[in-house]
Amino acid sequence: MTCKKIFEVKDLSKSFGKLEVLKNINESIYEAEVVCIIGPSGSGKSTFLRCLNLLEKPTSGKVFFEDVDISDKSIKINKYRQKIGMVFQSFNVFPHLTVLENITLTPVLEKKVSKEDAKNDAFELLKRVGLFDKRDEYPTRLSGGQKQRLAIVRALAMKPDVMLFDEPTSALDPEMVKEVLEVIKDLAKSNMTIVIVTHEMGFAREVSDRILFMDEGIIAEQGTPSEIFDNPQNERTIEFLGKVL
Amino acid sequence: MVETVIDLWTKYDYVYINGLLGTIYLAAITVFIATIIGTVIAIMKLSEIKIFDFITALYIGVLRGTPILLQLYFFWLVLPKITPFELSDTVCIVIALIVNASAYVAEIIRAGIQAVDKGQTEAAKSLGLSDANTMKKIILPQAIKNILPALGNEYITMIKQTSLASVFFVGELMTSYKTVQSATFLAVPSLVIVGIIYLIITTILSKGLNIFERRLRLNDM
Ligand SMILES: Nc1ncnc2c1ncn2[C@@H]1O[C@H](COP(=O)(O)OP(=O)(O)OP(=O)(O)O)[C@@H](O)[C@H]1O
Ligand SMILES: [Mg+2]
Repeated sequence: MTCKKIFEVKDLSKSFGKLEVLKNINESIYEAEVVCIIGPSGSGKSTFLRCLNLLEKPTSGKVFFEDVDISDKSIKINKYRQKIGMVFQSFNVFPHLTVLENITLTPVLEKKVSKEDAKNDAFELLKRVGLFDKRDEYPTRLSGGQKQRLAIVRALAMKPDVMLFDEPTSALDPEMVKEVLEVIKDLAKSNMTIVIVTHEMGFAREVSDRILFMDEGIIAEQGTPSEIFDNPQNERTIEFLGKVL
Repeated sequence: MVETVIDLWTKYDYVYINGLLGTIYLAAITVFIATIIGTVIAIMKLSEIKIFDFITALYIGVLRGTPILLQLYFFWLVLPKITPFELSDTVCIVIALIVNASAYVAEIIRAGIQAVDKGQTEAAKSLGLSDANTMKKIILPQAIKNILPALGNEYITMIKQTSLASVFFVGELMTSYKTVQSATFLAVPSLVIVGIIYLIITTILSKGLNIFERRLRLNDM
């Protein structure tokens, strides 16, 4: 594994009003690493992920992306977000744009890629995830699994250095989970840096280099998949895995 | 009675038609300018700047919380005093109508924008789209489908509300009623004619709006 840090989080805390959701987290994500975050509901997994691209503003502490403090208020966060792809549980594809336009919009507007190049890139990506035939459809015509694959390639079109996934399969019908996980697996094989919050334990075990177990706003335990799944140390981890496995 | 109505119409049709044109014009210009002002107010309200929030809340609160007739009197009395140049009654009343409508339009636009799923903004931001492009390319195109039908309704409301301008003899349909009534002393027949015209025009507009709304929704499929 290379040692280049993609993210470094220092003393990160986040509160919503009186509710302390993240408590002084220190953690790094390295290049080409696949990190899965697991843990009980409400433990702060989504909040942690959303702090990485500043969709949530940390209450205190710092977030570094490729050695730049992106939690600094004076920074132009858009530029950095272009290098941090994110995929949501609820897809959030743009319903008023075609599949193709969903993908080309941001590269053309924000990266000044020519329309032609953006379109060619999009075609490549759509072929990769089996959506090429749907390029001129509107998202309302797509199944959940297809929408999520679209959301993934929409993020990839920005050529990000890292991809964040927040429970990408939780809103899907069971028969569509696999097609989305396959896409993420391929991405993992292509050496993309990935941070993914998931309840799919089998998947986490298979693709991860490292598992973070979050509980009540801290990373309570972490390790390789076999360390966490076969030989957990923390009582809360044992309890949690006992419930989900 | 029916005969009197028909007689009155044949004799004074041009007065009513002029009045109707006045009403349509007044409502159109009011809604048009109110939309521009209302958009600015809505965006101010949605920005997270406290002072803007306070000002717009006050503006909308006062205009929606007091009778429109009171506002018309207020502008009619105050505007000529505070402007250095001559203002006709019509101009004062039009300004009052615009200001009043802008408060309602601002709420329509704010609600339309807020009805767009928050996930859309988050997705746009996470892609690295600027705030301006997020508004222009993602939020407004979706919000417009909520906003346009409501603005159409506002226009229909305006058609009726401009009748209040007759209090100040501004040229519109209700003033036509008064003109004919004072020339002929026939109040009820004149009122019936004006009522029928209002009814026809609002019915046509409502039907048109319904068709338009159905089209908008069809595009969503
Ligand atoms: N915008 C917000 N405002 C107020 N409270 C919030 C907000 N977002 C999250 N929370 C609260 O913070 C806590 C942690 O939420 P978070 O979404 O990070 O949990 P999670 O680990 O992702 O849970 P899940 O597995 O259910 O998705 C929860 O108690 C949640 O209610
Ligand atoms: Mg979550």
